[in-house]
Amino acid sequence: MALAGHDIGFQLQGAVIVTAALVTLGALFSIRSQPEATAEELTYYYDAPIKAGIYLSLIWAMLGMFVGVWVALLLAYPELTFDYAWASLGRLRPVHTSGVIFGFGGNALIATSFHVVQRTSRTRLPDQLSPWFVLLGFNLFCLVAATGYLLGITQSKEYAEPEWYADIWLVIVWVTYLVLYLRTLARRQEPHIYVANWYYLAFILVVAVLHIINNLAVPVSFLGSKSYSLFSGVQDAMTQWWYGHNAVAFFLTSGFLGMLYYYLPKRAERPIYSYRMSIISFWGITFMYMWAGSHHLHYTALPQWVQTLGVTFSVMLLVPSWGSAGNALMTLNGAWHRVRDDATLRFMMVAAVFYGISTFEGSFMAIRPVNSLSHYTDWTIGHVHAGVLGWVAFIVFGTFYSLVPWIWHRERMYSLILIEVHFWLAIAGTIIYLIAMWNAGITQGIMWRTYNESGTLTYSFLESFVAMHPYYVARAFGGFLFLVGAALAFYNIVMTVRHVPLARNVTNDASVGPLSVPTGEATA
Amino acid sequence: MSVSERDKYSGHMTTGHEWNGIKELNTPVPKILIACLSAAFLFAIGYWVLMPAWPLGDTFTKGTLGFDQRKHLAQQMIESDNNQTRWTDPIEQLDFDAIRDNPQLMAIVRESGPALFEDNCAMCHGNNGDGGKYFPKLNDTSWLWGADPNAILETLAVGINSAHPDTRIALMPAFGSSGVLSAETIDSLVLYIQSISTTETSSTTETTTTAENINAGQAAYSMYCAGCHAQDGSGNIEVGAPNLTDDYWIYGGDSVALTATLTDGRSGHMPAWESRLSLSERKILTFYVLSLNGVGDNP
Amino acid sequence: MIFTLHNKIERNSIVLALGIIAVSAIGGLVEIAPLFTIDDTVEHAPDMRVYTPLELAGRNIYIREGCYACHSQMIRTLKDEVDRYGPYSRAVESQYDHPMLWGSKRTGPDLARIGEKYSDLWHTRHLVNPRDVVPQSIMPAYSWLLENELNTTDLRGNLKAMSRVGVPYEDSMINLANRDAVAQATPSSDDVAGLIARYGPATSVRVFDGDSQRVTEMDAVVAYLQILGRLTEIAHSEQSVQTDTNDNTIKAEGS
Ligand code: HEC
Ligand code: HEC
Ligand code: HEC
Ligand code: HEM
Ligand code: HEM
Ligand SMILES: [Ca+2]
Ligand SMILES: [Ca+2]
Ligand SMILES: [Cu+2]
Repeated sequence: MALAGHDIGFQLQGAVIVTAALVTLGALFSIRSQPEATAEELTYYYDAPIKAGIYLSLIWAMLGMFVGVWVALLLAYPELTFDYAWASLGRLRPVHTSGVIFGFGGNALIATSFHVVQRTSRTRLPDQLSPWFVLLGFNLFCLVAATGYLLGITQSKEYAEPEWYADIWLVIVWVTYLVLYLRTLARRQEPHIYVANWYYLAFILVVAVLHIINNLAVPVSFLGSKSYSLFSGVQDAMTQWWYGHNAVAFFLTSGFLGMLYYYLPKRAERPIYSYRMSIISFWGITFMYMWAGSHHLHYTALPQWVQTLGVTFSVMLLVPSWGSAGNALMTLNGAWHRVRDDATLRFMMVAAVFYGISTFEGSFMAIRPVNSLSHYTDWTIGHVHAGVLGWVAFIVFGTFYSLVPWIWHRERMYSLILIEVHFWLAIAGTIIYLIAMWNAGITQGIMWRTYNESGTLTYSFLESFVAMHPYYVARAFGGFLFLVGAALAFYNIVMTVRHVPLARNVTNDASVGPLSVPTGEATA
Repeated sequence: MSVSERDKYSGHMTTGHEWNGIKELNTPVPKILIACLSAAFLFAIGYWVLMPAWPLGDTFTKGTLGFDQRKHLAQQMIESDNNQTRWTDPIEQLDFDAIRDNPQLMAIVRESGPALFEDNCAMCHGNNGDGGKYFPKLNDTSWLWGADPNAILETLAVGINSAHPDTRIALMPAFGSSGVLSAETIDSLVLYIQSISTTETSSTTETTTTAENINAGQAAYSMYCAGCHAQDGSGNIEVGAPNLTDDYWIYGGDSVALTATLTDGRSGHMPAWESRLSLSERKILTFYVLSLNGVGDNP
Repeated sequence: MIFTLHNKIERNSIVLALGIIAVSAIGGLVEIAPLFTIDDTVEHAPDMRVYTPLELAGRNIYIREGCYACHSQMIRTLKDEVDRYGPYSRAVESQYDHPMLWGSKRTGPDLARIGEKYSDLWHTRHLVNPRDVVPQSIMPAYSWLLENELNTTDLRGNLKAMSRVGVPYEDSMINLANRDAVAQATPSSDDVAGLIARYGPATSVRVFDGDSQRVTEMDAVVAYLQILGRLTEIAHSEQSVQTDTNDNTIKAEGS
């Protein structure tokens, strides 16, 4: 690829891949060449890839959010492109979206899914190679994607921008992930599969289906990066937003609900409020989300019948969504004093609340007349970040603060004060971001549709985007606070691993020790 | 499998399963959840009955309301057109003087002009008609095609050097690159033009040769340029030739820009708006353009 | 009771997985498949033409630079959008768009009907530095478009790939794609007649970037922007039909 590629971008991508592949191969080889795990070791959970996943997630978080702040600044101060093609907004924006969703979110999901599936199945991952292949293969995908955008290599499909070769690579990685997950479940020592695993499984399965169908394309040449998507126009639009909306549903929601369902009850030391509500919510979400994608195409050239289905399912979807949020919050009953005192648990509590807020907002925005105002404006951006900052990022940080001491066998996190500071920075950043964008979006939407008494338009487009300037500055500031908070998390976690002494007592998370072998059952 | 037990805090039973310490309560699904789900489902059914909703092979259910977003919009457009005929009709039919004398119409003209101008014209001519390099100022008092509102209206309809079949043509010939004039002659013409314009030019070489050159330029001017730009350089609104004696330049009044103008010629492109803007909108814009300079034409 | 049934499902990972697939497949199938079978999903526009190689190259640069991140190309069926941008977008207008570029955010204005609204010179200057012509603009500067020579060597392959996904490019169009691209930005070229013969008399042959010596990426992008909304007249003709039915309508829809 590096040598034979037709275009310079493709060649550079080839170089990235070769370098990364060599590093990966080296890593995999060193794992392979390690002596086979002894019988004794096999009675331990396999946590090394989880640790790597946490670090990778944090690295992508820093990168993705830094670019987010940069993009936010670009919208207020366009000169910050410095005349570099790679630094122009159109190329940086997908680096931000993919960086945070796939890099930060995806690595957190892979890492925690490995953790949760082992603990709740009371079994070790079936082999040592495939988890590393999944984790490093996925990061190779993210790296190829992000460097590709900087070079101008993109399919333009939102959240599916990487070109055909990266897409194919991801299919290979993802199928391995699925097989690994199913193999682990098959080895489980618990008769029942825990709810968190339903969600992780839905995340893995549905993302595979979405990814494959939305990325069907014909490459111009197997030696070049460019491809043309199989579908066009209205069919392409519907496929894209069926994908795009369900990337939200199964990547940004389902997977993180899996996280919520393990770490929140664990940290709160409370039983899940209602097993039956879990069932209703899970199947409700899995079924209904798939119909809602057309709410991204209201009033467009998409036939109206599809839009109707989109509205109705989006509204019905609110019920199972709030079911999940409610289930999580009710689980905290009996542990509210902990929420007050423990910033880590508070992160998770706030995540559940923002999950409720953003799904309510989403269902509201899916109603056609509301969407006629919100669509195309910064209101959508506000909604997005209510979900991704308030829900996704909060649950990830809450999880990491719990998981890191468990998995590295530390007594506690390095600094509880820093967690507290992070919490307030994150809350402040999120709220500033949201208020700025809600104001911006609604102002924009209203300016676009304001008429004079005589029936002519009052505002020009120019006036509407000039009015956005103060909001864009405020958003960049909010995002900056959030970024600083994330940096504190990174620091705190590194310091925990390096300086906090080993825990003396095995917590009941059992991450420290041999698989706790219950009554009479043997481990593999 | 472990056995269910009662949770001390909530009083509910657990399911009896446990995963690494996590238990679940077997709390019944809250009634409110079922109620909301049912309500949402009823809402959906109602919506499906009324609106186009379900696909049926090669067609779809049309909904009992017969609503269609395109028909609905067409209806809205007709209604608003009907409402607006109240003022669009007179604006289209009356001449400019008559409109100017009608305060009600002028109120609408003033109200509608700015956004219309900013959405369509400001990109080239600047927010206040300030113009910019290659795009003429509209807030001064000199006009390429005359200050008559009808001339401006015509410009808006057909454009200048545009794709419209009746477009106005404004062509400044390429005297240099076509070989008609030598580089020296062009140099002298540049000096001459600068001498008749009120633009301050920082003449670095105040020598007698300059004066001689200006005379040579003047001769060439009479021969090649006066036909279009008039003998005194005041321009000609018949062919859209600009006034060369004022201090405003579309393409620049420094020697480099002027040399380029004379060497390669110019023909600015102003799009035609007949197919995008209605007659009343173009008339409103005409008033707006005339009002930009803040003098006599101000409506 | 569903809860007893679930008791079985959640004890078998394969059943659980198959259940998830079955339940999640329904929505997409019901909403997407009929878009291929219901005939009036896409209007019939006999005058619909394909992109010329230069326009296609421009479209690819538009994608490369991520213009879609800020610009929609989809005028919705809402009165204010039609009043501001022109007739709402029809499905057929993006029939040959692989992929579509409808967009989801309007940081800048909609571009669905930008074709021929401004001059080539304006576009060139605007792309080189938007703040030269619109001082308040927050759009990035794309000065490299004017510096980069357009890579025409791959255009043949691009047209071929487009024809594989169903765009009706004839063999002659594919074979001569490179020359047609150069010809469209070089009015003095001998190949212009062939280009017009293949793509129709409405094809704009101009020096889009103001530099007749080179065919730059700017030529391609401007050629693409100038064709937006002009591949078919259907949106204009349908609208005038609708308004003509009403006597009181005074909006004169021109050519
Ligand atoms: C693509 C850029 C562009 C846009 C958009 C544009 N114009 Fe122009 N306009 C020009 C250029 C260039 C000229 C001068 C043509 C020439 O050089 O001969 C011009 C000339 C004019 C003139 C003639 C000036 C005179 O002195 O006689 C008027 C009046 C005018 N424009 C008004 C408008 C209005 C009103 C609009 C919006 C509906 C508009 N223009 C939109 C580029 C533009
Ligand atoms: C065929 C008619 C014609 C002739 C002959 C002609 N011009 Fe012009 N000239 C024009 C027109 C029309 C324009 C405006 C072009 C435009 O703006 O698109 C123009 C523009 C100019 C400008 C640019 C003004 C500005 O504001 O930047 C200059 C300078 C100029 N002419 C000088 C001359 C000189 C000197 C000669 C003789 C050598 C000459 N012209 C001969 C028609 C003519
Ligand atoms: C940061 C977001 C952003 C990006 C990225 C962007 N634009 Fe823009 N664009 C704007 C804004 C804001 C305006 C309105 C102000 C102006 O005209 O510059 C605009 C205006 C335009 C206009 C004029 C539209 C009209 O109706 O007046 C065109 C054409 C255009 N952009 C093309 C492009 C192309 C082509 C690209 C990519 C190469 C691009 N834009 C990338 C924000 C952007
Ligand atoms: C440091 C905090 C962040 C800042 C400053 C920030 C800023 C931005 C900006 C400026 C945009 C572009 C908006 C536009 O085009 O108008 C954007 C889009 C987006 N961001 Fe963020 N972001 C941050 C964090 C995150 C996180 C953590 C995630 C996900 C986990 C995320 C996901 C997204 C998504 C999905 C979009 C695309 C929205 C759309 O297209 O509608 N962002 N962000
Ligand atoms: C019930 C649940 C939800 C519904 C019904 C919903 C609905 C919507 C709607 C109507 C839009 C605007 C589409 C448009 O006008 O373009 C939207 C956009 C978006 N939502 Fe949600 N939303 C929900 C939950 C969430 C959550 C929890 C997240 C994030 C974790 C999220 C992330 C996004 C993103 C990223 C976009 C932007 C898509 C784009 O245009 O690029 N949504 N959603
Ligand atoms: Ca892709
Ligand atoms: Ca978007
Ligand atoms: Cu959605």
